[in-house]
Amino acid sequence: MPTTLVNPLDERDPPAGSVPARLATLQSSRIALLDISKPGGSIFLDRLESLLKARHGVSEVLRYAKPTFAKPAPEAVLADIREAQPHAVIEALAD
Amino acid sequence: MLAHGEIAPEIGGQPLPSPALLCFFKTDCPACHLGLRYLDGLFQHYRGRAAIVAVSQDDPSGTHALAESLGLELPMRFDSSLQASEAWGLEAVPALFLLDRRGRVCDSSQGFDKADLNRLSGALGGLADTEPPAPIRSGDGNPDFQPGCVSRHLEPPSGEEEAAPALELYSRRGLKASRVQVPEGIEPEEFCYEQGFADPLPVIPPTVGRVERMLAATSLAPDEIVAHVPPNYAPASVEKLAANAVMAGCLPEYMRVLVPAVRALCDERLDIHGVQGTTHFAAPLAVINGPVRLDLGFACGSNVFSNAARANSTIGRALQLVLRNLGGAAPGRIDMSTMGNPGRFAYVIGENEEASPWGPLSEDFGVGGGRSAVTFYCAEPPRPVSEHKARTAEVLLRAFCPVLANLWSHRVCRRQEALVVIGPEHASTLGRSGFTKRDVVEYLFENTGVALREYDGDGGEGTQEVKWYEECVIRGERCYRKFRRPESIRVMVAGGPAGKFSVVLGSWQVGPRGSQMVCMEID
Repeated sequence: MPTTLVNPLDERDPPAGSVPARLATLQSSRIALLDISKPGGSIFLDRLESLLKARHGVSEVLRYAKPTFAKPAPEAVLADIREAQPHAVIEALAD
Repeated sequence: MLAHGEIAPEIGGQPLPSPALLCFFKTDCPACHLGLRYLDGLFQHYRGRAAIVAVSQDDPSGTHALAESLGLELPMRFDSSLQASEAWGLEAVPALFLLDRRGRVCDSSQGFDKADLNRLSGALGGLADTEPPAPIRSGDGNPDFQPGCVSRHLEPPSGEEEAAPALELYSRRGLKASRVQVPEGIEPEEFCYEQGFADPLPVIPPTVGRVERMLAATSLAPDEIVAHVPPNYAPASVEKLAANAVMAGCLPEYMRVLVPAVRALCDERLDIHGVQGTTHFAAPLAVINGPVRLDLGFACGSNVFSNAARANSTIGRALQLVLRNLGGAAPGRIDMSTMGNPGRFAYVIGENEEASPWGPLSEDFGVGGGRSAVTFYCAEPPRPVSEHKARTAEVLLRAFCPVLANLWSHRVCRRQEALVVIGPEHASTLGRSGFTKRDVVEYLFENTGVALREYDGDGGEGTQEVKWYEECVIRGERCYRKFRRPESIRVMVAGGPAGKFSVVLGSWQVGPRGSQMVCMEID
C-alpha cells in the first residue's frame, strides 16, 4: 500500500513577472536609488551617485528612502518612484 | 472625489440605494482586500436595514473570484468601463462614500483606515436609525491604516513588461493541499527530506490519516486561511498547519494553540517579515499563559528553555516549519542570520504563574483573569543572570543591570527592549521585598545605563547617536540611560524551583518601525 502525504508546502505558482529590458546605456539617463535606511547606507549611496554621474554620464540621480529597513517599502514610496519615471531603479540592500 | 452635498451619479445606469455606504475597489489592490473584509462585516450587521455596496473597477469574473477568496457576501456593482470612477472623481481606491437619505454624499474616505470606517459606520447607523456595530478595534492583527492604490482610470498605460500579480494578503479560503505519493522503495521520512518538507531533524511523514486526525481536533474548516505567512505571504490554511504540525510531532489537541499562535506570529505588528530576513540573532519566542499550560503540559519550570516538554518543543517546531515551508524563509535562502539562534528549532516557554508574585505577562496586553494566551516577542538567545547572595530586591536587581546594559550593542541606547524572565527563587526574593512588577521595571529602568567614560571618541557603534541619549547619574557615575522608557522592559516568571538564576532576552528592532510584542487569546 503506497503512502500518501499531504503537501505541507506553499503550492502557489511563482509570481509571473518579467525582467525589463537592460538599458543600452546609462548616458543621459535618470536613475533612482532606493535607500533601505540602514545606518551608513547613505554614505555608500553618495559615492555610488557620484560614480554614476562621473563615470557613466548619468544625468540625474533621484534619491528615495524607506522609512525603516525593518519593513517592506510602503506603497507611497513606490508610487513616488513610479511617478518620477526613472530609466532604472537600484534598490540598495544593506549590510 | 465628489464633494459633500453633491448628488451621487448613477453607476451602470442603475439608481443607487440610500442611505448607503459605497466602496469603489479594484481586485489587485491589497488595501481594498483588507477594507472589503471589514465592509462585509458591516454588511452582515446592517443587512436589511441599510445598504452597503461594493463597486468593482474590474470585470465580473475576476471580481467574483476575489469575492470568493475573501468570503464576501455583500452586493457588488461593476464599473468596468470606469465611467463612474471618473464621474465620482476617484483618485485612489478603496474609496468610500456615505450617501444620505436623499442620495447626496455626506462623508467619504480614501484608502483603508479603521477610524474612517468606524466613523462612516456610525453615521450610517444614524441615517438608518439603527444601532451601529461595535467599533473595529486596533490590534486585531490587521494594520490600522493602509494607503490605497491609484484608481484604475488614472493608471498609466501598461508597458510591455508583464507585471507581477498583486499579493493576496486577505483571502479567507485556500485551495486544498495536494496529495503526494511516496514512491516504492523510499522511506517516507527520507522522502520528506528529498521534497524539502523538513528542517534538518527527522519529521513524522504527514500522511492523510495523521493530518485528518489533527483536523478533527479543530472546528475550523480545512480550507480556512488562518494567516498569510511572511515573507512570501503564502496562505496558511488549517490543513497546511495540520500537515506541518504532524511533521513536528504535535498531538491533535495542540491545534488549539497552534492556530492562534500562527495568527499572532503573522500579525503585522510583530513584523516577522523583517525578522525572517535579518542578519541579527532574533527569533520569535512564544510565551504561553493561562490554564492551557496545564491542560496541554507546557513546561514552565525546570529547563523551561530546553527540550523539557512535548508541547513546547513540538509546537515551537511546528511554528518554525510553518515559517519555513509557507513563509519561504529557510536558512541560506531568505533567512540570512549571521549566527542564527538555537530558538529556531523551537522557542516556546510557559510562564510559571504558580511561582509568580505577580499577574501573568499576558495581563500586560489585556488578557488576564485566568484566560489563556500566547504572546510573541522577537528575542535574542537568553543571557544568563546569576545572583545567589542577594537578600533584598535592590541587591538582587543590581545583577540584572549590567546584563541589560549590554543588550544589542554595549554603547547603543534607546533602541532596544528587554524581556526579563525571572527564576522562581529570584521572584520569591522580589515578592518578599514587596516589589510589584512595576517596581521591578522602574528599578531596572532607573539603574541601567552606560557610563559616559565609555564614549571616548573611538567611533564605535552607538557613539554617534549620543545627542539623542538621556543623561543620568547611576551610583554616582554619569551615564546614558539604556532604555527609552520603563515600558521597554517586560517582566515574567519562569524556570525551576531551585537555583538563583534568571535570564534576560534582548529584542530586535522595536516599535512601530520594527517588531512589537503581540498577544492573542487562546480559546
